[in-house]
Amino acid sequence: MSCSPFDLRDYLLKELSDGECRQVDAHVRGCAACREDLERLHLTEAALFSLRDEEIPQRIAFVSDKIFEPSPWRRAWAAFWGSGARLGFASAAMLSIALIVFSLARTAGTPGLERASGPATARVAASGASVSEEQIQQRVQAAVDQAVAASETRLQKVFDQRMNDLQRRDQALLLSMASDLNFAERQEMAVIRSDYTLPRANRGDLK
Amino acid sequence: MIFRAVEDADLIRQAARGAVEAYNLLVSRWEKRVYNYLLRITANREDALDLTQDVFLKAYQNLKKLDDPARFAPWLYRIAHNEAYSMFRKRRPETDVDELEPEATDTGILVGGSSVFPMELGLAVARALERLSPDQREAVVLKIYQGFKFEEMAEILSCPVSTVKSRLYTALELLKTELAPIKSRGVS
Repeated sequence: MSCSPFDLRDYLLKELSDGECRQVDAHVRGCAACREDLERLHLTEAALFSLRDEEIPQRIAFVSDKIFEPSPWRRAWAAFWGSGARLGFASAAMLSIALIVFSLARTAGTPGLERASGPATARVAASGASVSEEQIQQRVQAAVDQAVAASETRLQKVFDQRMNDLQRRDQALLLSMASDLNFAERQEMAVIRSDYTLPRANRGDLK
Repeated sequence: MIFRAVEDADLIRQAARGAVEAYNLLVSRWEKRVYNYLLRITANREDALDLTQDVFLKAYQNLKKLDDPARFAPWLYRIAHNEAYSMFRKRRPETDVDELEPEATDTGILVGGSSVFPMELGLAVARALERLSPDQREAVVLKIYQGFKFEEMAEILSCPVSTVKSRLYTALELLKTELAPIKSRGVS
């Protein structure tokens, strides 16, 4: 442990004032232990200084190219946007938008406004509702009537067509029966008039 | 030194207005120091070079955020520190950052070129630095090799000055134990 008035390491590292250094010098001249300690510190420092700085393997340089430099307007914008004003500006903009939206929404749907206009507004609304209801009923009735008429017409057409078909079928059936009756009568008359003989093939010459 | 700082401040102001040539001149003054800082905390030349390029690109993109041009150095090293630890996290995301160790290299990057000291000492220094924790090693690099003040180191590492001192003092004691006897034997 050093008995020096000031730390010998601070003396070595040149962190003492001139007066403090003189006090240390005076103390070291008369104190063998501190002198030896300080000598070892000097030797340590000398050993450390034996390591020289190296040259940098590659020089560093920057180039300026006008092509890649931003325009004054973009520099000004970048400077503004990169500054602390950005947060304030964004906050103010959001607050303004919120206020505008809120005021518009309140104007459009304020309950107090309907109450202020009161009965007049209600009357207008009521009359508007009755007129529209009558119109709706008329339109519905007209549509129903039209649909019923169309349906009746369609059914009448179908009925007439069916009746016509039945009449034609009856006539055809009567005509067919009449022709069949005539044919039978003619065959009967033919049998009566001729001598009836079996055909030759039916007379036993088959084998 | 003061004249140089004023010059850097002028270059920073010009570069912040978009003067790429002014920034290139600024880069040429700082690239070697940043590269060696990153080389000593990553122990890998390719990583150090890639990170150095990223650091200067990010610094150029954020130059307008630098309020005081006189604080350029700690501001630049802060970016470098963040880039390096971001790379450590990407490669080993499951590992705690405090436990991250630089990758081992075959040749040992810490063995410099034309050293006036014997090669044996260079290897011993490399081994001694490797035994330190990443935090301790970075503190040594920033103080011994880069010459930052405690306050600047605290700004770069984003920790209190007391933490910086603790890391550095512990590292110096460990290095002294490792290197002082070897040095005394080697020189004498």
